[in-house]
Amino acid sequence: MAAKQLTGDTVETLLAVQGVGLAPGRGERLAQGLKASIGASLEDPARSELELDAEPCGFVLGLQQCKAK
Amino acid sequence: MQGEVTGPCGMSLAQAARALRERRISSRELVAACLARIERWQPRINAFVAVEAGAALEAAAAADAALANAAACGALAGVPLAHKDMFYRAGRVSNCGSRIRRGWIAKATSGALERLAGAGALQLGTLSMAEFAYGPTGHNDHWGDCRNPWNPAYAPGGSSSGSGAAVAARLAFGALGSDTGGSVRVPAAVCGVSGLKTTWGRVSRHAAMPLCPSLDTVGPLARSAEDCAHLLAAVAGFDPRDPLSAQESVGDYVASLKTQLNGTRVGFSPTWIERDAEPEVAAAVLAAAAAMRSVGATLVEVPPPDVDTLSAHCMVVMQAESSAQHARWMRERPADYSAVVRARLEAGFAIPAAAYLETLRLRAPLLERFCSATLREAELYLLPAMNIRAPTLEQTGPGGGPQMPRLLGELTRLMRWVNYLGVPALVVPCGFDTRGLPIAAQLVGRPFTEAALLAAGHAYQQATDWHRRAPPEPS
Repeated sequence: MAAKQLTGDTVETLLAVQGVGLAPGRGERLAQGLKASIGASLEDPARSELELDAEPCGFVLGLQQCKAK
Repeated sequence: MQGEVTGPCGMSLAQAARALRERRISSRELVAACLARIERWQPRINAFVAVEAGAALEAAAAADAALANAAACGALAGVPLAHKDMFYRAGRVSNCGSRIRRGWIAKATSGALERLAGAGALQLGTLSMAEFAYGPTGHNDHWGDCRNPWNPAYAPGGSSSGSGAAVAARLAFGALGSDTGGSVRVPAAVCGVSGLKTTWGRVSRHAAMPLCPSLDTVGPLARSAEDCAHLLAAVAGFDPRDPLSAQESVGDYVASLKTQLNGTRVGFSPTWIERDAEPEVAAAVLAAAAAMRSVGATLVEVPPPDVDTLSAHCMVVMQAESSAQHARWMRERPADYSAVVRARLEAGFAIPAAAYLETLRLRAPLLERFCSATLREAELYLLPAMNIRAPTLEQTGPGGGPQMPRLLGELTRLMRWVNYLGVPALVVPCGFDTRGLPIAAQLVGRPFTEAALLAAGHAYQQATDWHRRAPPEPS
């Protein structure tokens, strides 16, 4: 299923449930900005190759494993 | 147009430290010379938030007494430095470039500053920065914009704006900055100084203002790679008070400096550089590659990493974590942020938690891919610090027009990916554009290869003199 894009209304709701208010019309601009800034991340095919065992904290070990021998 | 700095401030940090140890100059003379330059330059570039003249002169007198008594002195005994206004000192104010923390008094002292003090260094004052270190230009609505000493109409870069500007103008012998998405390297690049983004965890972040814990690093800005090596030697190392501090052993960064790079393989992609960088930038960076070859490096053509996708990953992490750090104030007092920083923080609240965590899960495999592909045939990777020439403050400010968002993105486009991968990178000046603004090259290495980066930068700087050039003195 192709990923849907954030809309202004969605963004306003997401912020509102966290107690952060937005000026009128701001949600739409944020949605556009997010598409530009993180779209490439969300569409990275590498996400499809992630193993179940990959942990968010695994990077600490990754730094050790990738240092110069 | 370039200037010449005569007198004590014309020395590098390494030269000043040596002159102090050999008693050829006193710390008091160095501090007085820096203070005189600060008085002359501050109205032009607004690099300092606070100048602590009295305290610096007192500390200099104590350093001179210790040096005179041949007491055990640190490697930086009596050397005047200044730091971004986000490294806390117990009982002292850290404003963090903000209105919210204006006048805030810290309860603890930064681990990095403690180490510098242990090495004998002095602090002249605190330096300008972007509000909460969240901006790459040098604008600051609360404390006034910092300006580029090469031309005050131009951006000094951010977020360590004052660190770049003060070191370039020879107001201090070195400075600490922080780098979450380019905040050491952008100011170093556009101000014409050397700046080191350290491996994540290499330098303690204890009692330094956090922006994005998964990406935040502390690093030096100084006049040369050699000076950066002296500063890193003082601040690097494990700190149990920083939960993300690395236990990796610390190299001898100063002893590792070389004048020849025999055997060091430097990867780069001339076709990519020529395609994506502005012509003056491409020419300067390719000339830097040739200069590295002249001091013994072996150049290897290597396709670049996918910097745009990696940068987008960095943005996911940066936006989500910075918004989480600021969540309470964003709920309680959003009007106390500048409009620009508030807008950046708003964005992070819309990033789904699962997407954020998946982006963190990707980090280790993508680091492994970078090291096994891009760095398979080379120890270091060379690229421009930025593909564009330094922009003006106006171009990158609220009145910058339709090109402004693109320019802001370009400032950090070649830097954010480095933060996402957590690896070290050194920025060194490699030329000037036709407007007289500096151009910089960037070297990237594997985790914990700061010694190799500094050695390469030092060797390059033995064959070139870009780092010795100073901005024209104020009239």
